[in-house]
Amino acid sequence: MNRVCTEHLTPGMILAKKVIGPDKGVVLEPGAAMTQEHIEALRTLGVSAVFVRFPAHMEPQREIERQVQEHVRNFFIFVDPDHEAFVELYRIAVQRSLKAFRDGWIIPCEEVLHAKNVEHLSDLFFKDAGEPGDIVRHEVGLASFPDIYFKIREVLDNPKSSAQDVARVVNTDVGFSAKLLKLVNSPFFGFSTTIDSVARAVSLVGVKEISTLALGISTINYFQNIPPELMDMRTFWRHSLRCAVFAKLLAAKKNLPSDRFFTAGLLHDVGRLVIFKNMPYASVEALLYARSDMVPLVEAETAVLGYNHTDVSKLLLEAWKFPAVLIDIIAHHHAPEIAHAREEAGIIQFADIMANVAEISAGGLFALPGMAQEDWKLLGLMPRELTLLINLHDEHFEEITSVLL
Amino acid sequence: MEPLKPASLTLRKTPPISTREFAELRRFIYDLVGIDIPERRKYLLENRLGPRILQLGLRNYSEYLMMLHHGPDKNTELKYFFTKITTNETSFFRDTKQLDVFETHVLKNVLQECEAAGNKSLHIWSAGCSSGEEPYTLGIMLHEILRMSIIGWKIQITANDLSPDMIAKAQAGLYGEYALRTTPKDVVDRYFIKETQGYKIHPKVQKLVSLGLINLNDKLAVKRVPKSHIIFCRNVIIYFDDAVKQKLISNFYDNLLPGGYLVLGHSETIHKLSRVFQPLIKPGGIVYRKST
Ligand SMILES: C[S@@+](CC[C@H](N)C(=O)[O-])C[C@H]1O[C@@H](n2cnc3c(N)ncnc32)[C@H](O)[C@@H]1O
Repeated sequence: MNRVCTEHLTPGMILAKKVIGPDKGVVLEPGAAMTQEHIEALRTLGVSAVFVRFPAHMEPQREIERQVQEHVRNFFIFVDPDHEAFVELYRIAVQRSLKAFRDGWIIPCEEVLHAKNVEHLSDLFFKDAGEPGDIVRHEVGLASFPDIYFKIREVLDNPKSSAQDVARVVNTDVGFSAKLLKLVNSPFFGFSTTIDSVARAVSLVGVKEISTLALGISTINYFQNIPPELMDMRTFWRHSLRCAVFAKLLAAKKNLPSDRFFTAGLLHDVGRLVIFKNMPYASVEALLYARSDMVPLVEAETAVLGYNHTDVSKLLLEAWKFPAVLIDIIAHHHAPEIAHAREEAGIIQFADIMANVAEISAGGLFALPGMAQEDWKLLGLMPRELTLLINLHDEHFEEITSVLL
Repeated sequence: MEPLKPASLTLRKTPPISTREFAELRRFIYDLVGIDIPERRKYLLENRLGPRILQLGLRNYSEYLMMLHHGPDKNTELKYFFTKITTNETSFFRDTKQLDVFETHVLKNVLQECEAAGNKSLHIWSAGCSSGEEPYTLGIMLHEILRMSIIGWKIQITANDLSPDMIAKAQAGLYGEYALRTTPKDVVDRYFIKETQGYKIHPKVQKLVSLGLINLNDKLAVKRVPKSHIIFCRNVIIYFDDAVKQKLISNFYDNLLPGGYLVLGHSETIHKLSRVFQPLIKPGGIVYRKST
């Protein structure tokens, strides 16, 4: 007996358990070979999945493969089907999902992905009064940003600051310095010796790098009170961390300062949190729009709000006086062509896409955003290298999560 | 059995759309229904229409366009086409906060004014009604307000959509749990009949609603709609560009009776498009009023 989502049913499958309608009557009796009309009726009824047996001519293994492919393809509906990177990512995603399936993962059904009651949420602003500038001003006005953040900023701003200065500031917050040390000591950061003090971390990793990592970590603690119906914070930060991991891996391949990219990945969607906080109902509409029109969330934000999370990230990080290089690549990760550092922004763009791919069999909801051929070429990657990247991510992701979340 | 070979997996299943074909198709859709499909959505359009092209045994999008323009079955195909290029997400009691504002500040007043003027007839137009959840919601609200006295009223809710599939669904009036997810349980009990095949809208609500096809980008069709006290057009103009929006808003203005109301979707605004309406701003939503 197999549980099959209504959207994956095909005529000929044999119902294994009866389906009951709202009046408790029997919609379909078990043993019936389903017709197209039956399947339509189940859809109208809003049945999300049914139990079926496959008829003799359907090879169960092939049937599962077909369903998994159908499910995975939906995530690629917005991207260029001839783009070598996406073709490879599609193959990877199908393999991963098949493996997840063998390990007990259940293919999520459309109906379940849709349904959520969010009618109680209200926006703080009406559409025209809720431009990115307005909501960022409101957000920054509330700021009770972790103290440690401002102290680090001061050190960063002062060209004369030394490793000791950074270490001194970081050490004032015990919980915070512990996290930082755990992070740089994780195998992912790959230092051969144990780093037992912040001072040593700073001298090994560099003043700038440690400070930007510190900015990233303190931001995670800042955002609370996001309506959990929209997205729970853990899901949000897990996606961000995946992106951070990929960004660091990609940057390291190109000999770029990889810890900065880790932070950029970590904060790449930060503007979305501000939108969720200030415009929760409009956010719901954007989420609905993205699902129903099968577009990436960024595209749905633009359609519903008239702007997207990168516009908000830019203003927020400017108001928080983040380093300009970091703002540039975060704010343009969906449009590297207008970034000062196009290639660097492209790294975050691709890291985000990889993070989305890694999530397809782990709760992913939205269509992947695309990537221009030019930006992909700038990365200088070969499609066959992507499997290794995803494996490295899998190896380190949970460990990084346990340190930071 | 041999395992799945990853190399055999491809994303491309249908013929590619060329730059020229995309431009022509985009123009065609825009001119016809006012929906502008940006370049970014090219592959999405391919995914929506590609399977149809294969099904019809056509080789490319040029042939498909030819068929839409000149084919002997072009009207039948156009209906299918409309279904493919629109999205119809909706539900009963969608945006309850806005509906509360509407009920308290608009609907009750309009009913009172009609009654005071000795003309107990009301026309509401739901433009872009999808599968009927919105007009039926309005019908339920009227029953809830007027109760028994509704029999003294002549009420019509005209509900139109571009997609024939959606109008057919609305006509069937049969819904699943998803459509009812934000509807209070007692309302479900009173206005829906539980059948084996789903929740059926009660005939006393259904008879208030008259369904039909419309293309909101067709000025003449819009002009034929009877004058309205209230127009609902929610989550539709989001698909149009400013020029089409502007035209439509002005047609709505002409359709409304003096003092009539226009209700748009939560995130839609005419702020930058039209100054002829008076916005009524309440916590929970905005409605627009035509001057008396
Ligand atoms: C997202 S649904 C909104 C349904 C409902 N008003 C609501 O808010 O829940 C948008 C509907 O607009 C319809 N539509 C789009 N363009 C149209 C046009 N040019 N003329 C008429 N209807 C159109 C679509 O077919 C679709 O059913």
